[in-house]
Amino acid sequence: MFTCRDSIDLLQRFLDGEMPEEERHRLKEHLDACPPCVDFLRTYRATPGLCRKAMVDQMPRELSKQLTAFLRQRLRK
Amino acid sequence: MADEARAEDERSLTARAQAGDISAFEELVARHKDRVYGVALRIVRSEADAAEITQEAFLSAYQHLLELRGDAAFGTWVHRIAANLSVSRLRHLKVAGETETPLEEPEFTDHGLLAHYPQRDWSKGAEERALDNELRGAIRQAVDRLPSGYREVFLLKDVEGLSYEEIAEMTGDSVPAIKSRLHRARVALRAAIDRFYNES
Ligand SMILES: [Zn+2]
Repeated sequence: MFTCRDSIDLLQRFLDGEMPEEERHRLKEHLDACPPCVDFLRTYRATPGLCRKAMVDQMPRELSKQLTAFLRQRLRK
Repeated sequence: MADEARAEDERSLTARAQAGDISAFEELVARHKDRVYGVALRIVRSEADAAEITQEAFLSAYQHLLELRGDAAFGTWVHRIAANLSVSRLRHLKVAGETETPLEEPEFTDHGLLAHYPQRDWSKGAEERALDNELRGAIRQAVDRLPSGYREVFLLKDVEGLSYEEIAEMTGDSVPAIKSRLHRARVALRAAIDRFYNES
């Protein structure tokens, strides 16, 4: 029987679009009957985007100044 | 249009830098330093190391500036250099016996059903919504906690946008191994975000 575990194992290939038709069909069948897996799929798909936003950093001012000084010194050579 | 103008502007800055205009190069540095520093920091998790990697990446970009040809974007290129440096730095930092938190895996019942169903679908509008600080903190903490091999792959693929093949070349791992780690990293991060939404 095709379980939630199977469906979660397949999500990545499903989203990458690398899935044979038959497997795709079985996954869709499971998703049609299993709302929690649909929520899992949606939140799995939203995860990278949220993480990308959370990863935005600013270089601290002090380190930024050091970078400028370092490059000024090295680029003249 | 704004993006196009920006890319055009970046090409002309690159051309000027290639012709020896240091101020053009400095403008390129100013534009990209935050993101270059950011990716290094997320991979190596040390401000000092990330600052060094940022310096090395821009210096190396400058020294090889003439190798950058045609339409290749300076930004993409310098990010690749920084990612590469971060990955090899991480290899050196991994001390023997370093303990890492094991990866969080979903739990299933004996029948292979999800043991904990997502209680709400927080994916709606996630793309457009601005991130509040608490969620941002929770995500950063969850990423930092990933075992390094998983963290690295997740950052390179899902944050930096490298291809599986590029990551394989950088890390020396196989594409199937990378895909499997990426999937498990996403599953663990999804669980961390899910917990955040269900507890707050
Ligand atoms: Zn299911």
